[in-house]
Amino acid sequence: MVEYTLQLEPFLGGYAQQFEHVSLNEVDTMALISLALPNGQDGTAVVQALEASDVPNVGASCPCLNESGTLMRMAQDQFLLCVEDVANSFEMNKDLEQKLAGIAYTTDQTHVWVALDIGGPATLTALERICPVDLDISAFDIGAVARTSMEHLGVIITRITETNFRLFSASSSAGSFLHALETSIENITT
Amino acid sequence: MTEQSNRLAHGGLINRDKRLSFKFNGTGFKGFEGDTLASALLANGKGFVGRSFKYHRPRGIFSAGPEEPNALVQLRSGAHQEPNTRATVAELFDGLWASSQNHMGSLEFDLMSVTDLAAPFLSAGFYYKTFMWPKAFWEKVYEPLIRRSAGLGQLSMKDDPDTYDKGFLHCDLLIIGAGPAGLAAALTAGRSGARVIIADEDFVMGGRLNAETYGINGMEGHLWAQNAVAELAAMDNVRLMSRTTVYGAYDHGVFGALERKTDHLAQSNGKPRQILWRIYSKRSLLTAGATERPIAFPNNDRPGVMLAGAVRSYVNRYAVAPGHKVSVFTNNDDGWRTASDLQKQGVEVVAVIDVRNAPAPVSLNGVETIHGAHIVDTAGRKGLKSIKLSNGKTIATDCLAVAGGWNPNVHLTCHQRGKPEWREDILAFVPGGTLPAGMQVAGAASGTLTLKAGLQDAAQSAETILNDLGMAVKKSESFEAEDEAHSATSFWHVKTTGKRAWVDLQNDVTTKDIKLSYQEGFRSVEHLKRYSTLGMATDQGKTSNIAGLAILAECSGKTIPETGTTIFRPPYTPVPIGALAGRARGKDFRPYRLTPSHKWAEANGATFVETGNWLRAQWFAREGEKGWRDSVDREVQMTRASVGICDVTTLGKIDIQGKDAAEFLNHVYTNAFLKLPVGKTRYGLMLREDGIAYDDGTTARLGENHFVMTTTTANAVLVFRRLEFARQCLWPDLDVHLISTTDGWAQFAVAGPNSRALLQKVVDAPFDLSSEAFPFMACAELTVCGGTPARLFRISFSGELAYEIAVPSKYGNAMMGVLMQAGEEFGAIPYGTEALGVMRIEKGHAAGNELNGQTTAANLGLGGFVSAKKDCIGKTLSQRPEMNPEDDIRLVGFKPVNPQDALLAGSHFITKGERENMANDQGWMSSVAYSPSLGHSIGLGFIKNGQNRMGEIVKVVNPARGVNVEAEIVSPHFYDPEGGLQRG
Repeated sequence: MVEYTLQLEPFLGGYAQQFEHVSLNEVDTMALISLALPNGQDGTAVVQALEASDVPNVGASCPCLNESGTLMRMAQDQFLLCVEDVANSFEMNKDLEQKLAGIAYTTDQTHVWVALDIGGPATLTALERICPVDLDISAFDIGAVARTSMEHLGVIITRITETNFRLFSASSSAGSFLHALETSIENITT
Repeated sequence: MTEQSNRLAHGGLINRDKRLSFKFNGTGFKGFEGDTLASALLANGKGFVGRSFKYHRPRGIFSAGPEEPNALVQLRSGAHQEPNTRATVAELFDGLWASSQNHMGSLEFDLMSVTDLAAPFLSAGFYYKTFMWPKAFWEKVYEPLIRRSAGLGQLSMKDDPDTYDKGFLHCDLLIIGAGPAGLAAALTAGRSGARVIIADEDFVMGGRLNAETYGINGMEGHLWAQNAVAELAAMDNVRLMSRTTVYGAYDHGVFGALERKTDHLAQSNGKPRQILWRIYSKRSLLTAGATERPIAFPNNDRPGVMLAGAVRSYVNRYAVAPGHKVSVFTNNDDGWRTASDLQKQGVEVVAVIDVRNAPAPVSLNGVETIHGAHIVDTAGRKGLKSIKLSNGKTIATDCLAVAGGWNPNVHLTCHQRGKPEWREDILAFVPGGTLPAGMQVAGAASGTLTLKAGLQDAAQSAETILNDLGMAVKKSESFEAEDEAHSATSFWHVKTTGKRAWVDLQNDVTTKDIKLSYQEGFRSVEHLKRYSTLGMATDQGKTSNIAGLAILAECSGKTIPETGTTIFRPPYTPVPIGALAGRARGKDFRPYRLTPSHKWAEANGATFVETGNWLRAQWFAREGEKGWRDSVDREVQMTRASVGICDVTTLGKIDIQGKDAAEFLNHVYTNAFLKLPVGKTRYGLMLREDGIAYDDGTTARLGENHFVMTTTTANAVLVFRRLEFARQCLWPDLDVHLISTTDGWAQFAVAGPNSRALLQKVVDAPFDLSSEAFPFMACAELTVCGGTPARLFRISFSGELAYEIAVPSKYGNAMMGVLMQAGEEFGAIPYGTEALGVMRIEKGHAAGNELNGQTTAANLGLGGFVSAKKDCIGKTLSQRPEMNPEDDIRLVGFKPVNPQDALLAGSHFITKGERENMANDQGWMSSVAYSPSLGHSIGLGFIKNGQNRMGEIVKVVNPARGVNVEAEIVSPHFYDPEGGLQRG
């Protein structure tokens, strides 16, 4: 019997900060599973297997797994499944590997990404300083997903509500990403 | 001088309730909110504000806008100081500190003004002709002299304490310029619901409406502008950006804009001073107005000689009289408006001189009007005193308003190579050729120089754009406004033989310089520009280009359109380097990547090194160690003696899945992967298309259709990108999918004879680590520490019995602690990249120094890895005869004949007895290290025919570093060449 145990450590130590009109919080509860479609698949089978409401277009997302997860369409042949179950991502990946055998290749991406929620009335103003994507609600609706780069870092951005966004970036550069976001917020506050 | 002696008692758009104090050259002055530095200086009777570039002649404020060639000042002091700030656009604030520049001694007594006496020797291109001999003077005398004289203003030579930011904006319509045309267009587009950005470089929107006495729809023009701005500000779909210069038009409707966020404040309070915006527009409308041009005449550079429109600006907008006895010199109707406005404000106008023999477009009482004459000279060293006319008359005057016509501001239309076209009716260039994608031009910028026509043109343009975007248009209002007289004649300069007439005030280029340039063969306008410096420096010839072109045309006997024009490049006005850099300074220059055990390493004495964006532990110093070598030697020895642990997370990891994954790998690697068994790892080598070695690493087969590839740290992203290209473009029919998992797994090398014993304390039962159950190059998915998922690879970079164990990254820091804790009984130590490097050199593994983009598989001794039974990227070209010469270089080992000698990477090999020159070059040393295992320096290097020269002594030379030692060619595998340890 091994005498050691390992504890999960959030990449940013569970960062949470309320700025003037903007909040910024690390999200450390998400399991992320990448689903790649085998050649010839259009995603319908995956959507059915995950009980999603629809086959989302590239750049969109939809709820799945009885509203407990979100299925984001990252590319024509790739989805990212987000479920609130970080501690069991490995098992979830293994389960999905079996469940989706032949209709999707799965990869646990939970530890690849750091996730931060940014929200509040000044969010769009802060994101203007760092995000090249047009975040006007007319162009980037609730549920929209985009891959972009912020301060040289690859980022996935998705809109949660009109003034709340979730940002994913590489976990190894989580500190730099946080610093870039903090700077963007501090630069717009009085 | 009394305070603000030239300030008019009434009028202007300044806030007389808010007095501001400022200093110029150490003297205190007062101004009002709404002033620019230039208007405040003029209000205080300070017309002489600088010295010219070449001749150090006294210069005054010439314009009221960004085209200013003369009034360049140093703004602020100390580390905050910024040279070459145009006083005409510097917004006055309380406590502003400015000083004049480009003089030796005081502004009034500039020692360098003696250069004016040497003017006959300083004509166009003088520096190409004058400093020819003696040759010995080139670098020691002339260059320092020229360098000291060149340039305007001075840098503080201190770190810029200000911060800058950048940002991204999106809109349906970007309107560049918030003058009457811009505002009219914005109202139309805004009311129609389009997402509009309207940007203007001024701090008050309205453009010329703030400087003129025009009326629109029955109200004063500036009030109409105020109302328009208020209406636009109330619209959620419109963004008003004053103090913002759109400086560049780039591809696909992208524009660069500089917003001066806190330049008008005494302190930035830690907030960015300026923001560099990237604006993505679906359409753009250039309503940048027009810039007035002067007329060149003898001694036209004295303080007090100004553009006529600028004089109107100072009188109407700032309530400042630029002089007490003002004259007007014009070749067009617009000049007369200046006289009229001055009179209305109670400023004495002594004369209007019109070069035309035409009736006056306005009647002026008590003003001498002279037709068909021109100015042949002026007087007044530090301020204009009088002008002399061609009719012999001399007029006493302290301010001369010069009206030479208006040039549409076409600059941004040229940024995608659009070439302006000449319009004879307005004697100016207008936008021509291909405009930047999505751009239209309206108002004065398009050559529509009158107010009413400009307003209608802009509103109509906005409607057209909205229709084009498929938007419903709310019909714009009709405008009641004046279409003012603007008839002009092509009178560019007063012909003179003796006295100098300035064309480009900023660069001290005279009519004579242009004629001389032409005479010396510089016939193209582009050549003229570069030879004479016409149109260079901060103003980029905004007031001088057309006159210069006209004179060149005269010289060549051609018309202006036949002569051509230069086109404009970004930026429209200067952009500070700090703003271009933005946040990317110092530690924020680029992002850092931290390994999962970074915190542990930091707490345990690691010294970090940058490897790409990664910060990696280089070594872990212990008490008593005198230098890094002590630490590294200890880490190597302890690892080889017992067990060492190193965070190797930085190696690229690519998850490869699909029914054709094995076949895909077979295509990208030189060696075979089709039959790699599940549970096994294999070393793989990739070539570039040209046959040169590209990258290497190990790939593990976790399942029938599931592989995990590792790459070198440096090439992780490049290899992934290359594989994606191969997947999507070369073999799209293969069912294979890639995703990077580099950041997802914390991976640790556990190396040394006790590595197995250590890991046995960590991996969960019943996993069997014995060599029989888990042999060299095996891989497995398992759990550790009571259920944490993990991957284990039995691979060795050190040459020892070794493993690499990976856990999900969030467990990485804890895992490092656990490994160290579990290893305590074995004396486990952490080791860094230096020890890693030493051990790989001892083992003879190639790394980045060897896979340097010049070497082939055969050079690396890996020729056998290029399978003859299958094809792969780069194979065909790797077989070219040129890639396989008989005496090709080969990677071998080197050990110094004298063990005390240190080898040096980068040294070259010379056969003993031959001279040390490049003709005798035999190869180079790629990697060296002090081997604590062997007790001397060792090296890896490439030498011709190396595999057949074992035992030969060669010279290792590096003349630049003074190295010349003898070394023996040996096997590259210094440590455990049979590999028994790693297989044990």
